[in-house]
Amino acid sequence: MSGILEFVTHPLNAVTFFPLVGVVAILLLAREKETLIRWVALGTSLITFVISLGVLGLFNPQDPGLQLVYDRPWFTVAGWTIRYVMGVDGLSILLLLLTTLLTPIAILSTWTAIQERVKEFMIFFLLLEIGMVGVFLALDLFLFYIFWEFTLVPMYFLIGMWGGPRRMYAAIKFFLYTMAGSILMLLAIVWLGLHYGTFSVPDILAQGPVMGPVQYWLFLAFAAAFAIKVPMWPLHSWLPDAHVEAPTAGSVILAGVLLKMGTYGFLRFNMSLFPDAAKYYAPWVALLAVIGIVYGAIVSFPQRDVKKLVAYSSVSHLGFVMLGLFAFTPQGIEGAILQMINHGISTGALFLIVGMIYERRHTRDLDAFGGLWKVMPVYAVLSLITALSSMGLPGLNGFVGEFNILLGALGSRVLGSYWFAGFAALGVILAAVYMLTMYQKVFLGPLDKEENKCLQDLNWREVVTLLPLIVLMFWIGLYPKPFFALMHPAVEHLLQAVLK
Amino acid sequence: MTVPVTWQDVAALLPEFFLVVWASALLLLDVFWIREKRTTAWLSALGFVVALVLAVGQMGRAPLLAFRGMVIADAFSVFLVALFALSGLVGILLAQDYLARNGIERGEFYVLLMFSVVGMMLMARVADLVMIFLALELFSLPLYVMTGFARPRADSEEAALKYFLLGAFASGFMAFGIALVYGATSTTSLPHMVDVIQAGEADLALLTAGAALVLTGLGFKIATVPFHMWTPDVYHGAPSPVSGFMAATAKMAGFAALLRLFVLVFPVVADLTPVLWALAALSMVLGNVAAIAQRNIKRLLAYSSIAHAGYMLSAAVAFADPHLGPQAVAAILFYLVAYVLATFGAWGVVILLERRIGQEGLLLEDYAGLSRQYPGLAAAMAVFMLSFIGVPPTLGFFGKFYLFRVVLDAGFVGLALIGVLTSLVSAYYYLRVVMLMYMKPGEPIVRREPRVQATVLAAAALTLFLGLTAASSLYAWATEAILRFG
Amino acid sequence: MVPTSFYIFLAALLFTIGAVAVLVRRNTLIIYMAVELMLNSANLAFVAFARQFGDISGQLFVFFVITIAAAEVAVGLALIVTIFHTKHSVDIDAMHELKG
Repeated sequence: MSGILEFVTHPLNAVTFFPLVGVVAILLLAREKETLIRWVALGTSLITFVISLGVLGLFNPQDPGLQLVYDRPWFTVAGWTIRYVMGVDGLSILLLLLTTLLTPIAILSTWTAIQERVKEFMIFFLLLEIGMVGVFLALDLFLFYIFWEFTLVPMYFLIGMWGGPRRMYAAIKFFLYTMAGSILMLLAIVWLGLHYGTFSVPDILAQGPVMGPVQYWLFLAFAAAFAIKVPMWPLHSWLPDAHVEAPTAGSVILAGVLLKMGTYGFLRFNMSLFPDAAKYYAPWVALLAVIGIVYGAIVSFPQRDVKKLVAYSSVSHLGFVMLGLFAFTPQGIEGAILQMINHGISTGALFLIVGMIYERRHTRDLDAFGGLWKVMPVYAVLSLITALSSMGLPGLNGFVGEFNILLGALGSRVLGSYWFAGFAALGVILAAVYMLTMYQKVFLGPLDKEENKCLQDLNWREVVTLLPLIVLMFWIGLYPKPFFALMHPAVEHLLQAVLK
Repeated sequence: MTVPVTWQDVAALLPEFFLVVWASALLLLDVFWIREKRTTAWLSALGFVVALVLAVGQMGRAPLLAFRGMVIADAFSVFLVALFALSGLVGILLAQDYLARNGIERGEFYVLLMFSVVGMMLMARVADLVMIFLALELFSLPLYVMTGFARPRADSEEAALKYFLLGAFASGFMAFGIALVYGATSTTSLPHMVDVIQAGEADLALLTAGAALVLTGLGFKIATVPFHMWTPDVYHGAPSPVSGFMAATAKMAGFAALLRLFVLVFPVVADLTPVLWALAALSMVLGNVAAIAQRNIKRLLAYSSIAHAGYMLSAAVAFADPHLGPQAVAAILFYLVAYVLATFGAWGVVILLERRIGQEGLLLEDYAGLSRQYPGLAAAMAVFMLSFIGVPPTLGFFGKFYLFRVVLDAGFVGLALIGVLTSLVSAYYYLRVVMLMYMKPGEPIVRREPRVQATVLAAAALTLFLGLTAASSLYAWATEAILRFG
Repeated sequence: MVPTSFYIFLAALLFTIGAVAVLVRRNTLIIYMAVELMLNSANLAFVAFARQFGDISGQLFVFFVITIAAAEVAVGLALIVTIFHTKHSVDIDAMHELKG
């Protein structure tokens, strides 16, 4: 009994498993009490957010290593002690906060959008939060894999049960694509376990990397799982389908958090566990990243479905993150981590914005709109800020991340070429083109469609949903220092280990 | 000359003895006294409960050769005997309502089931070639009859005949294989055989040929490719509770004998490693690929059971390695537990949805909309499907994890790759069942049969929570289930 | 004395004939007879080995096989008779209820 108490009172366990309280509470509620279920879900996720703020309070930004580590033997299998290791450092703290922030926002966005099977929806959503938070905190490969693979299940149901017309196709495609990568990672994890006799990442790092060609194979196996999740070109084809079909809240979480699990995986595991292979493959990863940046931007442009447009823009933005990571410079990696957060904020907000108009008009076709500025001024202003943030306008968050990534890539000795940064900069310009075109088609021009003339502007709930994200856009854009301060020691620490 | 039977002999086989006596008495009682067939069902269920208690009582004892070296009570056999007793109980819980509602409830069904379980238990106990053959036939013959229990339905009869003919064919292989093994080692006693082989006095060519034939015979029972042809037809035609019972237990029994022979006695025939490799790979690939095309849930589960035989066999490929042998055994036993739980559960759902025997409610489309009207049942089925795929945190994930660990440790990277890639293929058809239940509208009709429902929910709860809470103790238990002769 | 290997070759030959017949014949009764042939080839091998080793357990095995074969006949013929009632045929090609 005291063991359980000790377990749940550890802040990292608390923040991971608190949503379970909400799951159980919702399970016990009758399915007709939909409003109550919504409040329970929202309350649970808000408390989880508060706990994560508590974790931030306990976090010491000066310490480059892992903090608040909870390390216990979990079980023993034929000579293997599988440990339950949770911990947080500068690489993961921001992603933890992003996850716990976006979850209540996403739940708030479903208030009127989800009317069917609310009970199941909220259960799956809270389960998803457990999986996502666990992925960012787990430091034992076995535990990590459990969280990683577990996130598939609730997301599969969220897309498949509450999605659009082709939801079943999109759901199964999402599941199979992601699983295809992660099973290769599973084999690599088992191999590492056999080699080191442990799955605990700190223990493995203490023993030094695997030498010889095996390291390169292991890198590729892990990279397969993460690259599909990111998704890197050419493995991205599941993403537009999943985004288009997923319900708004699903898209917000998918873009905001799930994709970050891939980039975080590269950062946490590929770079530190397989440093030689990571440096060897860095130019190739960067090449794919740059192709993704340009490809995503070009393909975004002709899209008529706004969600598809945003989905392809994600491919482009995540390309920046990958480029920054594999530049192996402090600026590049810090920019990349910040860009992960930025993308979560901006793209999350974009999907919320799309969801709001879809709820009113039940279409996402660009040509169905025009001149919305006149009927929905609040909506138009918030959308403008979000679009500008997403395309990287100075003064807003996107600029800080992308600028640092480009500088990092320029100064990278591992990449050894200016061309990567050059082509990536092209992506910034293209982003401005497709974002502004989209904005123009929807909000400017004449208000010539009959259906659009009596659209209601945002209500207080919708404004509240968007407001935290808008505030963050300005905050990171104008004063990013505290965010960099959180990650800087950890990034330096990582680079020292990798580049030595 | 009298052969003394000591109390020690009886004690070694106490669960089996009890079941045989109980079943024989029940057969008489059923003919002469019992009016309500339901009573027979309850009495046989009670018999399994007692057998389970007796089997649990055998745990932790030192290995004991009994009946002049015919059988052995070691940790491995006790583990499986307990599982078989539990499976027998579940088999009756699943069958009773189904038989009654379809008008094919006859008392001998339960007696046959008990005899079959005794045969399976003996498969785990074998210490002599004679016993393997006897136990194999003892568990198979009742299954042939149970398969045809829905007579005069043509599909049930046909399934029984097919099962019988191929089963007898397999017995032929077994008998001839055993003869060759006997010729190679000049003894039928397995402990003696180990000594003879270690002393280098065995005829290796003959032994390899014999082992290959025995493998063929057992391959039919565990349904590996290419000895699987009967499986879809038999599982399809047999009454659903019988199919579920067979899918779970016959495979366990086959693996029990296979592991005992190959890990304990035959490591010397390492020449057969590529053969096992190929059988495992073929089963995983063909089982999963063929399952994709199935529209009937019974056939889908049949092909899936072939694939799972392949997964378990892939760990058995490491049998010739003296260090990995025990780990392979533990991993396979663990996987068997996960597989049996999910199999019983899934077949329980099939039973609840099958409207009349062999008709309606068996197509995948009949599962559409299940989650709306019966959320608990649909959630349970989803858990079984996810466990079959191997998604954490279900027990199936832990099972696959341990299996692949052994396969990788033995250096069969290719086989491990085939294993994970075919798991991906299997995700497609298992998820289709989930998709129909959760994402398609429909009006499924489900029986209200509390015992079957309770069994299904219990299996789902165990599949979901055993992995996270008790995977280690279960694995420790499986690890202690070491094969020993004295 | 005839060497054991002769018996084993004969047994293997009988076994092969039986196995092939199971696969190629269509009449269930004939198929079952072929299975019996396989079992008896095993018996022959057992007896031959038992004589070579001067060991009784091989011959004992033969009795078990014979007994079990009899039990199998009981079940098998019952099944064949039942199916003949339903289908008026014992031809394996008449079994076509179960197709995927």
